[in-house]
Amino acid sequence: LSGPESQDHLVGEFGRIAVEFLRKGTNPKIYEGAARKLSVDAETVQHGVEGLMYLLTESSKLMISEVDFQDSVLVLGFTEELNHLLQQLYLENRKEIRHILGELTPSLPHYHNLEWRLDVQLASRALRQQVKPTVTMKLHLEESGGDKSAKVLQTDPATLMHLIQELEKALAELKTTHCRRILRNIK
Amino acid sequence: MELSESVQKGLQSLADATFFDMKTFSVFIEVAFRSLLSAHADRSVLDQPEFKRLDQKLLKHCHTAATTCILEGVKQNADKSTISACLEDVGFDAERTEVFYTTYQVITNLLCYSFKIHSRSQPQTVFFLILIQYFGYRFSLGRCPPHINDVSWRLEYCIKNGHVHKVNEPSYLISLNVENANNGGSSEDLHFSCTMEQLQVANMNLNGCIPF
Repeated sequence: LSGPESQDHLVGEFGRIAVEFLRKGTNPKIYEGAARKLSVDAETVQHGVEGLMYLLTESSKLMISEVDFQDSVLVLGFTEELNHLLQQLYLENRKEIRHILGELTPSLPHYHNLEWRLDVQLASRALRQQVKPTVTMKLHLEESGGDKSAKVLQTDPATLMHLIQELEKALAELKTTHCRRILRNIK
Repeated sequence: MELSESVQKGLQSLADATFFDMKTFSVFIEVAFRSLLSAHADRSVLDQPEFKRLDQKLLKHCHTAATTCILEGVKQNADKSTISACLEDVGFDAERTEVFYTTYQVITNLLCYSFKIHSRSQPQTVFFLILIQYFGYRFSLGRCPPHINDVSWRLEYCIKNGHVHKVNEPSYLISLNVENANNGGSSEDLHFSCTMEQLQVANMNLNGCIPF
């Protein structure tokens, strides 16, 4: 990147390609197109882009400060303008890159939405003349890859009240002194 | 109440004093109700000393007839006059009809007593709960979506993971214990995670479900 062929706009273009590859995956044809324009090997272009991708992912993963980022790229011997350009690239894209990296983490399905319906069962094949209140719920969950699923569940009013009480206890726990101390001090 | 010919014949045998004297009859009726209310089938339910002298084939026939009659009565929410008329048609005398109906009423009387104890507070809640208990064992028949029985939760604070450091976010792991009535009553846990904000929204939605 610091070779005579590189210029700020070229680095900017490589940076754009690197971020795009992080979003959607690599595309070897891009390397060939860029190599032809620059009259260099496709392999050289590939190394440059992959180097930028590594720099961005590692910096975003560790969430390093601007000072630490500058110190890290200083050893590469780039010009001050190039260092600044790289820092801008990092700061503008780190939030998105962290989100992409977060999707690689093994995780459980997470809550997306909850629909509900209150019914009263009046009769069935086994039993006539019923008055059975039932809450039917559709719990929408989302996997880390974006796949969505929906589970239809049912419960009775007594269990529903128990569920609400338990979940309120769970929410109240976050406001206790112990949890607040942890959240405040581990940053 | 419409009963099949086989059930009617079984009840007619039950009404016959040459097969079932009053003591044997009373024990038999109690056994018949108990066998319906227990969670698991008990093969030894008819191994009572009072039944030793009876023909086993007749005993089983009468047991099937009695339990079918009880289930049909509960299913139709039959009152005393309906049950009495049905039993009289198959030859029950007044005493046997009374023994049968008295045992039938024991369930409802026990629940009414509970209602009186709790009636000072949350009468609507108790009313719904008593109704559910009254028909509780019959509710287990039939098809329905998986039923939520319980919920467990875990609050955790994620510091970092293999791909992202300095996450520093709390999250909840919720496990719903769900019973699948259509699959032999098998139960499973449904796990999902959520943020505090999502849990607040979910709890608000659940609060909206309460019918009173």
